[in-house]
Amino acid sequence: MNFDQLKNDWNKPETEETEILQSMLHIKEAHTPIDKIRKQMKCEFFVQLASLLFIALTPRIFGFPPEIKPVFMAFYAVTCGFCAYYFFKFYVFYKHSYDLSLDTRKNLLWFYYEMKLNIELYKALTYILAFIVLSFAAVYLLMVRGTIFQHILDKVSMIYIILNCFITILIVGLITELWAKFYYGKYVKELKKIIDKLDDE
Amino acid sequence: MQEYTEKIFLELINNNKAIIYKVSKMYMDDAEDRRDLFQEIVMQLWKAYPGFKGNSKFTTWMYRVALNTALLFLKKETRKVDKTPLNENIDLADVNYSYDKEEKLAYLYKAVQELNSIEKALIFLFLENQSHKEIAQNLGITEVNARVKLSRTKEKLQFIIKKNGYEF
Repeated sequence: MNFDQLKNDWNKPETEETEILQSMLHIKEAHTPIDKIRKQMKCEFFVQLASLLFIALTPRIFGFPPEIKPVFMAFYAVTCGFCAYYFFKFYVFYKHSYDLSLDTRKNLLWFYYEMKLNIELYKALTYILAFIVLSFAAVYLLMVRGTIFQHILDKVSMIYIILNCFITILIVGLITELWAKFYYGKYVKELKKIIDKLDDE
Repeated sequence: MQEYTEKIFLELINNNKAIIYKVSKMYMDDAEDRRDLFQEIVMQLWKAYPGFKGNSKFTTWMYRVALNTALLFLKKETRKVDKTPLNENIDLADVNYSYDKEEKLAYLYKAVQELNSIEKALIFLFLENQSHKEIAQNLGITEVNARVKLSRTKEKLQFIIKKNGYEF
């Protein structure tokens, strides 16, 4: 195979080339994994915002007794605080533009670690929210007397309750891991594969 | 001002559009995917253009952005995978000046689809007359590594082309 001849043919002008028009500069949707994740994050942001608003209405919807309302407000404030912190972090990620004129290795590593970091942030927020919800549920059951759950709790041992909390957190963790893997994991895996190929001596 | 910048930019990339065209053709086998990648590269070049300070040649900068975009590009998942045999897929009907050259390149592009994304980048830069040093700089690897990888990729490409029943 004559690569020099091939090079000559390669560098002759192509017949199919079309003119690049001004309209092509302004396509809004990019197709890098980061753009895809950002798009997903944008959707999730609105879902989480709607969930926060819904949670604010839960005492009214479920008729919480007056003694639990201040506790609910405290938990709700903590939840909003964590959400605000993480939303800010996600916003910074969302706005952080990438530089495709870096060399390929640096560019791939930037995408890889940026994605990893944000997936971890996303997981952390989910764990925190799950912990807050579980804690509130525990406080609710301990404070409000006369509910069905209260009667059930009176009949089971403390070890059983602790074990249940532990398993719930594990299940939340598992769902979060699977969710992150399903939505974002494939892109990270694909990038890792390309980086490994590049580093392979 | 914006319009003026756009005009300059369009002139620059139209003068070097072969780079975008070839990268798209190397990385995407399907015509629609190729068109999408072509547009994506143009858009990413435009987005990155404010960062181009002229410290390197415009084409060097273009190689990087185009290759990086191709490496990260996510094609639409719903499209069918092209499984047509090699000789049936090469459409030479519109070739009007060099059958031999077009045929060779058509076989090359088809064979390149069997390479991985890094090997494609290596072969592309090699065919664009880049030295080992330049290839290494563009990919962010050592010169020795670039040399070894390129040599292996060329061997692999030769093997694929031969396997497909063609030789040049």
